[in-house]
Amino acid sequence: MTMTQNGEAMSLRIVRALAVAIAGLVLAQPAFAHEQVGVGGGLVSGLLHPLTGLDHLIAMVAVGIWGAQLGAPAIWVLPITFPLVMAVGGVLGVLRIPLPMPEIVIALSALVLGAAVAMRLRLPFAAAAAVVAVFAIFHGHAHGAELPNSANPLAYGVGFIVATGLLHLCGITIGTLTRWPAGERLIQGLGAVIALLGGYFLAQSLGAVA
Amino acid sequence: MNMRFRRGVVAAAVLLAQANAAEAHIAASRLGDFYAGALHPLTDLQDIILWGAMGVLAGSLGAATGRWLVLVFPLGLLAGLVLGQSFGVASMWATVDAAMMLVLGLLLAAATRIPTGLLCALAFALALIRGAANASDLGPETDRLLFAAGLACAGYAAITLAMALALAFRGLDSSPSTSWQKIALRALGGWIAAIGLMMVGFGLAS
Amino acid sequence: MRYLAAALLVLAALILPSQTRAHEASLGVLELREVRPGAFIGHWTMEPTMGADHVDLRMPPHCFVRLPELNCGEKGLVGPVTITNLGADMSAVLIRIIPLAGEARSYTISSANPVVSVLAAGAPTLQTWIELARTYVNYGIDHILLGADHLLFVLGLIWIVRGGWRLTKTITAFTVGHSVSLAAAAFGLIGVPERPLNACIALSIVFVGIEIIKQQRGEAGLTARYPWAIAFTFGLVHGIGFAGALAALGLERRLLPAALLFFNLGVEIGQLAFVLLVLALIWAHRRLDAVLPRWGDTLPAYTIGSVSMFWFFGRLLSVFAAT
Repeated sequence: MTMTQNGEAMSLRIVRALAVAIAGLVLAQPAFAHEQVGVGGGLVSGLLHPLTGLDHLIAMVAVGIWGAQLGAPAIWVLPITFPLVMAVGGVLGVLRIPLPMPEIVIALSALVLGAAVAMRLRLPFAAAAAVVAVFAIFHGHAHGAELPNSANPLAYGVGFIVATGLLHLCGITIGTLTRWPAGERLIQGLGAVIALLGGYFLAQSLGAVA
Repeated sequence: MNMRFRRGVVAAAVLLAQANAAEAHIAASRLGDFYAGALHPLTDLQDIILWGAMGVLAGSLGAATGRWLVLVFPLGLLAGLVLGQSFGVASMWATVDAAMMLVLGLLLAAATRIPTGLLCALAFALALIRGAANASDLGPETDRLLFAAGLACAGYAAITLAMALALAFRGLDSSPSTSWQKIALRALGGWIAAIGLMMVGFGLAS
Repeated sequence: MRYLAAALLVLAALILPSQTRAHEASLGVLELREVRPGAFIGHWTMEPTMGADHVDLRMPPHCFVRLPELNCGEKGLVGPVTITNLGADMSAVLIRIIPLAGEARSYTISSANPVVSVLAAGAPTLQTWIELARTYVNYGIDHILLGADHLLFVLGLIWIVRGGWRLTKTITAFTVGHSVSLAAAAFGLIGVPERPLNACIALSIVFVGIEIIKQQRGEAGLTARYPWAIAFTFGLVHGIGFAGALAALGLERRLLPAALLFFNLGVEIGQLAFVLLVLALIWAHRRLDAVLPRWGDTLPAYTIGSVSMFWFFGRLLSVFAAT
């Protein structure tokens, strides 16, 4: 292979480039940095959007816990495909295609997923996937609708996908407690709390509709 | 005199570019363009995501398949830079970038076995697009050779490091496909694809 | 050994007095006289040939400038001053600042050194130290990262020593070497003309290239046996080179030790970043199994050698052109 020889001849120069990048970061001196508009702001608002709405947050954690409860293959199919399905909802949101009663469905998702965790509901994989997918689309829709308003849509998208992924990870980590009987009970309690909160949000949004 | 010397240098690319750099050290004002070329992609979110995705995808396929990118990717960047400079950059590139993100993410998420040739073609195409996009930062005063050298070097280092990191993280080829490291890489692919999908939607909407 | 002899010859050449060429008349002198605290009147005591109006002078961002007026408010004239269009018609501009209290200071802006940092007059305050640290750490980083010759030398050392504890010792020796001679040169203990020195630096890289080839042939070269000694010795040479750059910055005497420290710190940061990146790339190449085929083994060494030899001849030529 002729790659390393080229690589080495080049390496010197890149090496300097990266070194400068590092040094630049260390000294926070934007020397030649070409500034993309609003990356920081977009990223932060994207990261915070799923975190600030409690209804979103608990539903995402519940998805992770439920996946862990169901075990393989759900536990590993979920983190891979969920963001994608959510992005489908996100695209609908971006394109301003309205979904029916978004607030109610999102509150309902927390209620249903929380209840599933609390009751250790063992649905067949396909059924569980379908339920989660429907909710994912609604959650994605809510986040996606905000995307075009962001200072930097790409940064916003990165932020909200990462935040959602991390919430899942949180849920799956909590879900691993199922290995111990006491942990199992704790998780069921947590599921019940999530379901209750979901019920509260549902009542609230129904009240708003009525 | 110096100008004519410089023009001569263009022919003897790498070696003399290096030599020029050192002259610049003594007379030190031109080398800024090298770093401009190298840093430009590192400050652009589009490049960071796409280069990272390419590196992780190649790394997840194993050393034998991925290592050709060490050469192919920087060369593609150079070719793209030349193209972008000659033909200009169309605004539709944002959607192409997003589609690329979606494709790379899906390939990574699906853990597809991609043959070496196809991977190289994919990497070259991506590098071509991003090289052309980076050409937009070339000003009339920019030393093209240094800028190109910087860009290629950044591409080489970024892709090499990303591949090696992904490979080291993934573990052995023989480890089960449900090892948490492999799942984590695929999940990352899912994230990237999701971002790409949304940006495609955004590109179509606007 | 032959090359060591050659290096000695060049060192001997350094003792010969070298005359600097007279400056072309493209120099400009701008005098800034403080009339009220923070407010200056500027005028060109020597106008550059391109005409004063064409000089693109950039003052620190908090200053308002429309020559002959310059107003920097309460903060005073502190921060980076630069001229963006230095070039063939104007090689350097000398800026003299005459404050209300204290002595006048001069700064030189040249293409080699297009940005100068003006420091507050009077007793150094915390602000001065921070400004000084920021300026000189950055100079140090810029200097090492723009110095392809220094980096090539370091790359050669990494190649020979191949990581681990020995590399740590070798790089440290290089650092100690150039710190010592940088300090000595900056305080005027030793003075070496720039051009022969640069040729010498190029020669040191040739030496490293030869050592790599020797090592590949299985001979234990000097560097392989005593890497730290070689690194220290050439570190001394490279350090004098750094000092030349530092001297060009037109620094005030009272702040010299601190500036030297910060400059060195910057050089270290840059060098460390470079070394770490090279090591990371070497690791990556091993991991990817993307290594040289057998026939290409000697290529990097020959590349290093040819590039540095090219520099050496170029610089040698400039030595003779100057004398």
